[in-house]
Amino acid sequence: MKVTVDDLHVLTGSYVLDAVSDAEREEFERHLPHCPTCDAEVRGLRETAARLALACAVNPPARMEPQVLAATYRTRQLPPLPAPGRVLHFPRRLAILAAAASVAAALALGITQLTAQHQLDQARATAIARVVTAPDAHVDTARAAGGSVTVVTSVALHEAVVSTSGMASLPSGRVYQVWVMSPSGARSAGLIQGSSLLASAVRPGDQIGITVEPAGGTARPTTTPVAVVPV
Amino acid sequence: MGGMSRPDIRQLQPEPAPEYEPDLAAQLVLVSRGDHRAFELVYGELAGPVYGVVRQVLRDPAQSEEVAQEVLLEIWRTASRYDPDRGSPAAWALTIAHRRAVDRVRRENACSRREQKAAEPEPAEDDVAETVAATLEHQRVRRCMDGLTGLQRESIKLAYYNGYSYPQVAQLLGVALGTVKTRIMDGLIRMRDCMGVAW
Repeated sequence: MKVTVDDLHVLTGSYVLDAVSDAEREEFERHLPHCPTCDAEVRGLRETAARLALACAVNPPARMEPQVLAATYRTRQLPPLPAPGRVLHFPRRLAILAAAASVAAALALGITQLTAQHQLDQARATAIARVVTAPDAHVDTARAAGGSVTVVTSVALHEAVVSTSGMASLPSGRVYQVWVMSPSGARSAGLIQGSSLLASAVRPGDQIGITVEPAGGTARPTTTPVAVVPV
Repeated sequence: MGGMSRPDIRQLQPEPAPEYEPDLAAQLVLVSRGDHRAFELVYGELAGPVYGVVRQVLRDPAQSEEVAQEVLLEIWRTASRYDPDRGSPAAWALTIAHRRAVDRVRRENACSRREQKAAEPEPAEDDVAETVAATLEHQRVRRCMDGLTGLQRESIKLAYYNGYSYPQVAQLLGVALGTVKTRIMDGLIRMRDCMGVAW
């Protein structure tokens, strides 16, 4: 029996309450990495289910604690999973961004053919380095589609660097598009392709938004943003 | 998202709430490095909800104690896998606890084939209720539950507190499968918005 994406979406609630069969659970979990909105919904509903559990908290028998604590001394812990694209704390992140920018710039210079594209990359890398090392650089982070988005803004330069990490991968034909949103409307700042993107003409009070759009991007946002970060 | 109801819900938050989550997340990081003292703190915060939800599903105190112990040891064992980007420590731990309890129910049903038992709806909540502390969380959940339709409320209670699958819930309530799936979904969304859950 083939299950449609809509069926799977409605199943989110039952999935979160563990009210699905093992086969449905597996199918849902296969779908999840391709569906940022489902992923966000799962997180919200999981927190909700946790409240249902917190509401029925009961003190366990006192003997349980020494038993569990004793068992920890006999139980080996799992090592962490390798986490590519984890969120880094700011100073390290800044250093890495700046380092990546200079490496990119060096590469761009060193590469045999200095094509227009390379010049563009180099200019972009230099611009990114300028923003993240600006004296007034300000950092904001928000959760987005199972990962996070970090926005480094320099008001003095009117520029912002948008970097994402760990966001759910999209099905082919879909892209993440970044917007500078102001009271007068949303303006595209480009598509997320590599790790960082530079948004220009950013003013205080603007917001950076990320939406899922058809490949190639659109002129106006057509979906609800998966993340909005105030500048 | 229920914009109207949020402000007054915020006022109902218990005082320590803002400190609670980040602190527990930090403790879990220490636990993942083998810190037994940090685990004692985590145990202190989570043992009650873990035991409560397991007991709600399993009912049998001895069996609940056994499963709750397994879950708490699992928290010790897998602390390094907790990812703060994916939710609060409580949600992480209670997801493990609920799933473990439901797995136990399903395994036993499969063994003993006592499916008839599932045909009798039990009151979803009340026999454990007397041991439940009248916490703010409890009041808030109850108040938000009251805002659901009858079918939403019963579907969520039977699925979460009794550990029934949605086909079993549909059978118990005498409604179509699709209806139950939809009611669980929109009921949970309404609960989320009513409780002002951040995620």
